[in-house]
Amino acid sequence: MLDNQIILGFETSCDETAIAILKGDELLVNTISSQVDIHEKFGGVVPEVASRAHAEMIRNIFHSSLNSANLQISDIDIVSTTDGPGLVGSLVVGYNFAKSVAWSIGKPFLTVDHMVGHLAAPLIENRTMKPPFMTLLVSGGHTQIVLVEEWGNYQLLGTTIDDAAGEAFDKLSRFCGFGFPGGPAIQKIGKGGDPTKIDLPRPKTKHEYNYSFSGLKTAATNFLNNLDSEDKVTRSDFAASYQEAIVDSLLSNFVKAVEDTGVKSISGGGGVMANSRLREKMNIFAEKKDLNIYLPTPKLSTDNAAMICVAAQNNLITNDINTDDVRLSSIIV
Amino acid sequence: MYSLSISTSGKYISVAIHDDKLISSSSVLSENGTTNLLMKSIDEITKKSRIEKSDINVVYLDIGPGYYTSLRIGLAVAQGVCGSLGIPLVPVNGLDALAFAAHTGHRKICTIIDIKREEYAFCLYKPVPGGVVRDSKPEVLNAENLKIKLEEDNDKKLVVGDWHSLNENLIGENSYIKFGSPEHVSSENIFNIGKELFKNKDYPNFNEVRLEYMREPDVSFSTKSLEGKVNFHD
Ligand SMILES: [Zn+2]
Repeated sequence: MLDNQIILGFETSCDETAIAILKGDELLVNTISSQVDIHEKFGGVVPEVASRAHAEMIRNIFHSSLNSANLQISDIDIVSTTDGPGLVGSLVVGYNFAKSVAWSIGKPFLTVDHMVGHLAAPLIENRTMKPPFMTLLVSGGHTQIVLVEEWGNYQLLGTTIDDAAGEAFDKLSRFCGFGFPGGPAIQKIGKGGDPTKIDLPRPKTKHEYNYSFSGLKTAATNFLNNLDSEDKVTRSDFAASYQEAIVDSLLSNFVKAVEDTGVKSISGGGGVMANSRLREKMNIFAEKKDLNIYLPTPKLSTDNAAMICVAAQNNLITNDINTDDVRLSSIIV
Repeated sequence: MYSLSISTSGKYISVAIHDDKLISSSSVLSENGTTNLLMKSIDEITKKSRIEKSDINVVYLDIGPGYYTSLRIGLAVAQGVCGSLGIPLVPVNGLDALAFAAHTGHRKICTIIDIKREEYAFCLYKPVPGGVVRDSKPEVLNAENLKIKLEEDNDKKLVVGDWHSLNENLIGENSYIKFGSPEHVSSENIFNIGKELFKNKDYPNFNEVRLEYMREPDVSFSTKSLEGKVNFHD
């Protein structure tokens, strides 16, 4: 089924300048140049800083990606990029760079919705994944439960009404001085900690599949503000408990959605899906309910361009429905 | 030998194809949120010029100062084209391009480029045979300080660039300050300097081309202000 067309993909929707090259089912290159070091001192992604960095890094990553794949630019058959959603200043850099490459070499230019990229990501390593499946897309920018009935038919069942799960990690990590990004920092500090030590709420919303993390954030900050060192709460106990609260919240709505619809396959994606506790609990759930589970490896869960390539390869593209420009909203609604 | 010249630093997306003279050019008003006009314009003028993409030997790019996002779109496109076709990218400063294009026999030339948030990039030039030379360092000024700058001496001056966007009452025309053209940077202005830089091999390596932002990025928050005082046991 797969031919050997060589697909060049770009992803610059947030703070990673990413380029990948996919040939058939072989991922030749998956370069991700993270700006974490740059943004760490600000405790978050600063859009203007991010787009400046993209504009300066993309040409070098482009050349090094071709070099490590041992390819000439003329070997590329298709150029793909994400056209949104994301930070506009960041998106326009990758989008315009990709478009001018496609124009220069006279090859097709395909655009992919960033969220569709995430939900297609497991295909890179597992070609057997096919709809229908339920996926949990979680990152610093999004927290979504999406039912993929078939490719192209995406039903958004649940989303966050305030912060994304990644933001919930970032904000508390910043408050505690644990570092940025918050998810990996809290996971690291929480290692070996007691996740049951601190009783934090598992917030509920009116809509059964929607998420809300602001209540948890407030409860956690209140707890920390009133903390006395005599209480003997260690950093790792707090981090483990906070992580557990987020993971439990994410899981409970997702489990409900899977059970209500009766789908037999589950999946996930986004930066928070790199969290080992969340992955562990997803796997336990799948095993208990005898579900197929397709989780991208942590490197393919966070933003990357391989997911853009594989989506383009499977024709999960947005060219026909958008206005030939970058977009702020996802096609998943 | 064909060149592609690009200017996206201001309100216009301006592109041109030259050999040693102009073959085809286009200038379109850029509206907010239309990032795609540049590639469209380039595609159109290339077709109109009846040249192959592979006939383009060099790209001259307006690297600013100007609107950040527009500049980055210009840089991204220029880098994509140069990186794919394997041709040089010659950066041209927009203030220099304005001054070079302003014809004056004896007046000093003041170039102004709007960089938004009511601030302007400014540089002073003096005419010399065959061109202009910088008479000051490029700097960022608000309208008030720009006025002070223009009126600080009685040297005869020609003001070019984005003076239309200044408040009319701020700087009145008088015998020693005149306002003239060009009123914005065009791809032809960029070509005129770019071709000299190219001929003299006076341009950086492809991966050393930087935009002239002239301002540090805005950072509205810092980690410290959001950090709490937490009494952990350890
Ligand atoms: Zn993402």
